[in-house]
Amino acid sequence: MRSLILSSVARIFFAIMLAGSVWVLLRGHNEPGGGFIGGLVGAAGFATLALAAGVEAARRTLVLHPVVVMGLGLFLAFVSGIPGILTDASFLTHQWGTLAGVKLSTTIVFDVGVYLVVVGGVLSFMFRLYAEDAR
Amino acid sequence: MDLSTVLLVSLVGAVIAPFVAARAGVLAGPLAAALPAILFAWFFAQIDAVGTAPIVQVLPWVPSLGIDLTFRLDGFSLLFALLITGIGTLVTLYAASYMSAKPPFARAQFLLYILLFMTAMLATVTADNLVALFVFWEMTSLLSFLLVGFQSEDAKARKAALQSLLVTAGGGLALLAGIILIGVEAGTFSLAAITANPAPILESPLLPAIVVCVLIGAFTKSAQFPFHFWLPNAMKAPTPASAYLHSATMVKLGVYLLARLDPVFAGAPWVGATLVAFGGVTMLIAALQALRAVELKAVLAFSTVASLGTLVMLIGLDGPVSSVAVVGFILAHALYKATLFFCAGIVIHATHETKLRSLGGLAALLPVTAGATLLASFSMAGLPPFIGFISKEYLFEAKLESSLDTIAVIIGVLVNAVMVAIAGVLALKPFFGRAKKPIHVSHGEQPGMIIGPILLAVTGVAFGLVPSLVSYALITPAAIAIHGAPFEVSFKLWHGFTPMLALSGLVVALGAVLAWFWDPIHLALRRRRVFDEVFSDRGYEVVLERTLALARWSTNRLQNGDLRVYGAVVAASVTGLLAYGLMSGEGPLLPNVGAEPLRPYLVVVCALIVAGCVVAAVVPSLVTAIVAVGLSGYGLALVFLLNGGPDLALTQFSVETLFVVIVTAVLLKLPTVARSSRTPGERWVDATVATCFAACVLVATLWIKAKPFNTQLTEYFAVTSVPEGFGRNVVNVILVDFRALDTFGEIAVVAFAALGAWALLRSGSAIRRTGKGA
Repeated sequence: MRSLILSSVARIFFAIMLAGSVWVLLRGHNEPGGGFIGGLVGAAGFATLALAAGVEAARRTLVLHPVVVMGLGLFLAFVSGIPGILTDASFLTHQWGTLAGVKLSTTIVFDVGVYLVVVGGVLSFMFRLYAEDAR
Repeated sequence: MDLSTVLLVSLVGAVIAPFVAARAGVLAGPLAAALPAILFAWFFAQIDAVGTAPIVQVLPWVPSLGIDLTFRLDGFSLLFALLITGIGTLVTLYAASYMSAKPPFARAQFLLYILLFMTAMLATVTADNLVALFVFWEMTSLLSFLLVGFQSEDAKARKAALQSLLVTAGGGLALLAGIILIGVEAGTFSLAAITANPAPILESPLLPAIVVCVLIGAFTKSAQFPFHFWLPNAMKAPTPASAYLHSATMVKLGVYLLARLDPVFAGAPWVGATLVAFGGVTMLIAALQALRAVELKAVLAFSTVASLGTLVMLIGLDGPVSSVAVVGFILAHALYKATLFFCAGIVIHATHETKLRSLGGLAALLPVTAGATLLASFSMAGLPPFIGFISKEYLFEAKLESSLDTIAVIIGVLVNAVMVAIAGVLALKPFFGRAKKPIHVSHGEQPGMIIGPILLAVTGVAFGLVPSLVSYALITPAAIAIHGAPFEVSFKLWHGFTPMLALSGLVVALGAVLAWFWDPIHLALRRRRVFDEVFSDRGYEVVLERTLALARWSTNRLQNGDLRVYGAVVAASVTGLLAYGLMSGEGPLLPNVGAEPLRPYLVVVCALIVAGCVVAAVVPSLVTAIVAVGLSGYGLALVFLLNGGPDLALTQFSVETLFVVIVTAVLLKLPTVARSSRTPGERWVDATVATCFAACVLVATLWIKAKPFNTQLTEYFAVTSVPEGFGRNVVNVILVDFRALDTFGEIAVVAFAALGAWALLRSGSAIRRTGKGA
């Protein structure tokens, strides 16, 4: 069930949704958004691509295997807690600082971790479902 | 070094030493034994310090729950620590030799378990905090499981390992309950503090519950009636492990705990009477079974159970002498029983013969083993001048002095006479008796295996001849530690002509008669099959089978593979619990919430949601149903949005979208029109469950609405979000900062759930592909 319209706009949709998901992720600390919602939007973007251009195209676009993405996310979330142990002996107490006038913190690392877990988790089995269909 | 460092050294050494030793060839034994030997030396050097005051070290662990990692070394702990490391040294040496024919990895594995067990034991007997003690206690159960099942290719060994784990770790759970109750009532988990001030526990209405829980824990560990069956079965373990865990150290942990809590339970005389009763029954059963047992190690196992029963009975007796008797008997028993196990191991290793009646005439072939066995069994029989004699004198003195003297003395005389007989048969029959058929010895006595029994047997004589070696250094501090108050201790060989001496004489005379007629008695008792029925692990089997049957039944009922049944079960359970909660709450069932102005747009949205639900429930087309469910979901997201929850709404929108996308992918494989697999009757049941569920949720929501909303948390987060979390989106700040650990747990759950689904999808497709023959 290939639709010409869908396949021609899928790439554009995918780019918009991925950019949107990153935007939702980054603005999350002050405005509605965050890693979880961003991850869901991102996964929906990949799903669109998989529906329109096929699972293989979506897999190639993701580069990494979804399970690896998921593990990377968990790892990042874990790593973001380590500076807390080193400074005031409490895991996941987030640290803040400014570098060249830009406010930086370990929370964003944590939130990116959440984002990657959600994207990887959803895509890991969604790709499989679509792949089954293709055969 | 302080105590925690010593334990850490023990742990690290236990992990490293076996693998170093595995590559060291002949030196394996001495190398691995260096660790326990060094620890023994350290504990030995503490004797003077502990004699004046206990060594205490406090490390905070879970301060918010009042759990410290306090280590406390007093006289009683020191006695255990010396036995654990001392016998541990010899066991390690022995095991390296005993296992020398095995592949290197199996050898290293065995030594690893033995040394890890030693570490766990040391931690258990030096832990002052009861919760920490419990953790180490369970570690010993776990290592015992691994060691009993070490010959894992043997189905019987696996079964025995599982049995020992289920009994001891199950009893450990009861112990945990008891410990928590003690902590709640006493306000502390510190053993020292609890025994110093037992009043809160003795006056507590929960005292019977505490006692029952603690006794179950102690009785399972120390193989007391009605849990006595697991210890003889655990003899499937390699002999070095049997000598170490199931005789000298681990099985005495139950006794250790009871002795520790004796100052508390002394305030409630019925506890002591209970201990005497259970100890006595255990002694009698074990003595009878020891006479009936066929295998060499089984005889030793039953005599160990009888000794543990004796210790439990002694703890139940009142009076300070019982403390001396407990300490003396623990020391004497560890020395002679470990020797006997070592010697039995040598005999079995050399002859590959495990039955007592098949052995004979080994004195010429294994002369040193014969000598060590003889010395140890004299001590076991309680003959002078062995330490066993002194400990038996105290045993009878404690019984005579207590308020339960008659029954305790009668059981004591009977069971000790059997022990004398067993000791005689064990020492004489295999070595000096006549064998029924010629015995073939595959090898002589190996130095690594023979050094342990010699040292222990000689120590037993030395302590008996010169009791002052141990009396001031070990016995006195240990007895005072469990009695709870200082008193005069005299641990001597010769006490003059006393009633105790007369009882000892009576016991030896009776035992000699029993030993003389052992063959006919043994055969006559063996023929009585009824004892197998009564004293075996039949009860355990029944409980295990019933539990498994229940699990099978409930699994078949609740998880039969039909998703509708799962859903119905969950919905019905929630409904039941909610309904119970609502019914038992105070106030009217339908509280008066007060009317709110009707908002027309909300009414429209709600109508959409309801329409979606109704359509999803009635249409036969799956695609329509999915779209209808999606409609309800989007409606719900709108409700969130209209009520000031943009984050929630955004999430809901994303989830609904993805839901439709994912389910569509599934639907592509399903027929578009589902054949209804539910009968009209079943559909009525479903409808009823759904309606009840909805009604309960409605009422519950009204109740929540009727309560004044607690704004404390909302205000806290509103105020602290920007200064402490540096973010204006309170929801996100809570997720990534205030409750980041929860979020971390949640994403881990998401990841594992996804991983599970991913793996399931793969196996499904793999099966299908092989099914197609592709």
